[in-house]
Amino acid sequence: MKKKSLTPYFFVGPHLILFAVFIFLPTIYGIYASFTQWNLINDPVWVGLANYKTILFDTESTFYTQFFNGIKNTLIFVVLSVPILIVIPLLIAVALEHKKVKMKGLMQSILYIPGLISISAAALIWSLIFNKQLGITNNLFGSETVWAANQPYAWLIIIVITVWGGVGGNMIIYRASISGVSKDLYESAEMDGAGPIRRFSSITLPSIRFPLIYTFVMTTAGAFNVFGQPLMMTDGGPRQSTTVLMMYIRQLAFGHGESIAGMASAMAVLLGLVILVISAFQYYVMNRNAS
Amino acid sequence: MLKKKMGVSLILVLLAVSVLSGCGSGDKNTITFWTPLTGDDGAYMDQLVKDYNATNPEYKVKHVITSDMYTKISTVLNSGKGVPDLAIIHADRVPGFVKQGVLEPMTGVMQAQPELKEENYLPQAWNTGNIDGTQYTVPLDIHSNAMYYNKDLLKKYNVESFLDDDVVTIEEMLSLQGKLDEGDYVVNDALLGWVVLAQIQNLGGDIQQDGKPAVNTEVMKQAFQEIKKIADAGLMTPFGEDGYLMFQSGNVLFSTDGTWSSTAHAAVENLNFGVTNIYSANADKFTNRASSHLFAMLNNDKRTDEKEAGIGQFLEFIRQNSMEWAKAGQIVASKQVIENPEYNKYIQSFFTASDKQIESLYIYTYEYYPYVAEAVDTYAADIVRGNVDIDETLQTMQKFVEDKIAEGSKAAE
Repeated sequence: MKKKSLTPYFFVGPHLILFAVFIFLPTIYGIYASFTQWNLINDPVWVGLANYKTILFDTESTFYTQFFNGIKNTLIFVVLSVPILIVIPLLIAVALEHKKVKMKGLMQSILYIPGLISISAAALIWSLIFNKQLGITNNLFGSETVWAANQPYAWLIIIVITVWGGVGGNMIIYRASISGVSKDLYESAEMDGAGPIRRFSSITLPSIRFPLIYTFVMTTAGAFNVFGQPLMMTDGGPRQSTTVLMMYIRQLAFGHGESIAGMASAMAVLLGLVILVISAFQYYVMNRNAS
Repeated sequence: MLKKKMGVSLILVLLAVSVLSGCGSGDKNTITFWTPLTGDDGAYMDQLVKDYNATNPEYKVKHVITSDMYTKISTVLNSGKGVPDLAIIHADRVPGFVKQGVLEPMTGVMQAQPELKEENYLPQAWNTGNIDGTQYTVPLDIHSNAMYYNKDLLKKYNVESFLDDDVVTIEEMLSLQGKLDEGDYVVNDALLGWVVLAQIQNLGGDIQQDGKPAVNTEVMKQAFQEIKKIADAGLMTPFGEDGYLMFQSGNVLFSTDGTWSSTAHAAVENLNFGVTNIYSANADKFTNRASSHLFAMLNNDKRTDEKEAGIGQFLEFIRQNSMEWAKAGQIVASKQVIENPEYNKYIQSFFTASDKQIESLYIYTYEYYPYVAEAVDTYAADIVRGNVDIDETLQTMQKFVEDKIAEGSKAAE
């Protein structure tokens, strides 16, 4: 019998350790915490399913209201942002492939850089841009409303900053996969008289099926975890109509006063379940339709 | 060859482990001192610590500005590792921390340093750290809600008389209705929640009754209604706009922000401003809702008695030398500092100029104050602007606080 080499473990090991320490164990502990009442300092007290019962069924409870308002607002954000974050990067990626487009690398960098800027720094700049006294909305477009404090403008500015920051990442993935599609396919299609739209739908789209599924699932999961944009741009307002679930979770666990970490964990677990189910469903539907 | 590579990776792993475990383990002769002072005030504290270390004490202080400090405190308390020797906490944290049993009393420190005593500090700053007769904290400052006024605008509208008795009443403010130029406003809505909490005192109410939260009360309703009058009259800066900025750009007569803002206002060119008390719904009373930065020692077995003595020396140094802290705009808690004539050059000396003024700095010490404040902050703007029904919202707020308390008290049992 051959002596087993240790080398592979050294390659996998670091990742495995980091995964266990920073993702696996915290997740398990988070799930455990969701069955307890815990103020982060004293020992957690086991309460079974009480937190879930309160959140899901006790219509009188503040936590019920917060959870459902939070999940509603999160869903609104997902529905508004995800399609844009798929379609616009895809269109840009395809446009950049055109022969006549110059300085592709520069364009790509310009579109990608916003994604590298921290959300709080970006939000400061954007809130000045949308500031009623200093910004363009009032001075250039003559708008009389305070955007961050009125709907639907509050959602609009959250979506604008999200798209501004999020376009680059997906675009890079689409560009990379489009450049992997054989040029022969396009040439023969062109000879057969296929127009640009036909070439896009019959060659480009099917060829980048997996990147599309991947970005769709990942963008959706990311959108469910939205936190920074509404916090910085609207602070959840007006009247908690942009307070997303992550904001409530954070307030409960790390807000003022004694922490309510058990309830916060239960909300986080429920959010995780929603993301899991939706991602699985997306993957299933797209993969089936594509094959 | 392979062995060599393995050796290298082993070293890397060991290095990583030692670096990670190195976090927080301080030197034996160093007082690790955590503060949540992430703003400009952090630099003033740095200077104070530097001045102290320059006196060559046996135990030097290492100031660590800690963002998200309270989260980190709960983490280190849970693991028992890396607990700071000394920390600055806010007044509203004291009752909770004491109930959870995570604060070490200052008894030993006070015995070693006899000048660390109530008579040498502003009374409410000292007493906020006293729970059931035990002193858990030594105060650094009081930072309070304050009302800045634009001197030029007061003159322009000929209402300098508002300031005569140190109480600007809501009635006085309402007298300006219809008299302002377009784009000018009487007051902004900065720190509106604190202004509401001040009115509760002005109207003779409280946020608790027999230890139970009292949010949905007649006094709370009245407090909101009084402030709402200003908004209804169109005298408050418009909803959602940056009223703080509008004050700085010279369009607002009064700004209800904090003592610490004076340095920022002073940096604005051509802004001719002064400071007074938060406006009141009651001509006979004024209140400035305040909080306090307090030195506290979290439970830590590794803190030796010698180190505690070192902490005492540092606190005594701060008591005598915290004039530097006045530069940050804060009301220094040490009487020795505020009674020094040099302190009068700071604008916030207004708040300690008389006993009545000192009394106006009100620190809520109710155990569940943070939840009440959170409820008030969440809903205040919408109530004042008439976006929501006041009775219904007060009910929601009461329930909000009660639900949160119910969760916490079960966990503590």
